[in-house]
Amino acid sequence: MKSRQEIFDIVRRSLVELFELDEPVVVPEARFDDDLEIDSIDAVDLVDHLSRIFERRVSPRDFRSVRTVNDLIDCIDRLQTQ
Amino acid sequence: MMRGRTDRLHAHASDYFASDEPPAVKRTDYYWLRLVGTGLWFLVFGLVTFVLGFVVLPVIRLVTWDRARREHRSRAVLGGGMRSFVHSVRALRFIDFEFIGREKLGRPGQLIVANHPTLIDVCFLLGFAPTASCIVKASHFRNPITRGAVIGAGYIPNAPTEDMIHAAEAALQGGETLLMFPEGTRTVPGKPLTMQRGAANVALRAARVLTPVFISCEPSTLSKNLPWYRIPPSRPKWTLRVGDDIDLGAYRDAPLPIASRRLHADLAGLFAGANTVRD
Repeated sequence: MKSRQEIFDIVRRSLVELFELDEPVVVPEARFDDDLEIDSIDAVDLVDHLSRIFERRVSPRDFRSVRTVNDLIDCIDRLQTQ
Repeated sequence: MMRGRTDRLHAHASDYFASDEPPAVKRTDYYWLRLVGTGLWFLVFGLVTFVLGFVVLPVIRLVTWDRARREHRSRAVLGGGMRSFVHSVRALRFIDFEFIGREKLGRPGQLIVANHPTLIDVCFLLGFAPTASCIVKASHFRNPITRGAVIGAGYIPNAPTEDMIHAAEAALQGGETLLMFPEGTRTVPGKPLTMQRGAANVALRAARVLTPVFISCEPSTLSKNLPWYRIPPSRPKWTLRVGDDIDLGAYRDAPLPIASRRLHADLAGLFAGANTVRD
């Protein structure tokens, strides 16, 4: 089990690493499509990357309602308790 | 019928005719025969696709239990059909074509990417690389005529994105050849080519070889937004040229999203360049 802060750090590190984003841009309120310019293909790459880190096989469907970084953290938090 | 009339009723007659084709061009190469013939071969093509999808492929399914062998056989039948189709319309002199370097197609783990100027591009590519899988418009899986064929052959629908990417990845990793039209739809003549990034992404995930195919058709026909009966004034000729393999190793150092953007940009440049040069 990881805390929300730990999850946020992993997500932020992944976003910086994969998409060459500047760290300060990745805030919990940031929207993937508008603020971070992550499209549907990027989303597949991101989810594949995160599921390797969390060692969980997740379907991108689980992330369908995700709009912001915060939504993603909620989602991962929920998945790790299942 | 409305020759020379400029009354208000017919003031917009030009609306019915595509403005990209100057009306003064003389209709040659048995225009009317080609028009009737084109209609007929559309009909035959639809019928054959339906029969293959709903009669032949189900029979193959009954006698072939192993999924890989079943798809292989189904693709061989469909590819054979498409090859016969392009050969016969050429023999009937409705079209002409030249396919340069087709022996380079059909290698295991090979991703073939091609531009998409006309409706029948796939018939040349799958006709001559018949064991290949193909990313197909998702609506073909609902269309009653094409449904049986695309399901039987185990082709991959282009939506939803995540399923398409993972299925394409699995096919290439399993050693299949895969065909993709990165534009996702036919090119609109005169418009710059716009490609989706999916092809570059799939290539970097799993392809052993990436091979571009440059297709041109002169004069232009069967393009997007053009009904089948707008046949060109002279017999159209397709030229398909298989390009050199693209070295993927050069991109794979970077994380996937970054690498796929780079490859995507290079592919777009490659196709844009090839399309402006007429050989």
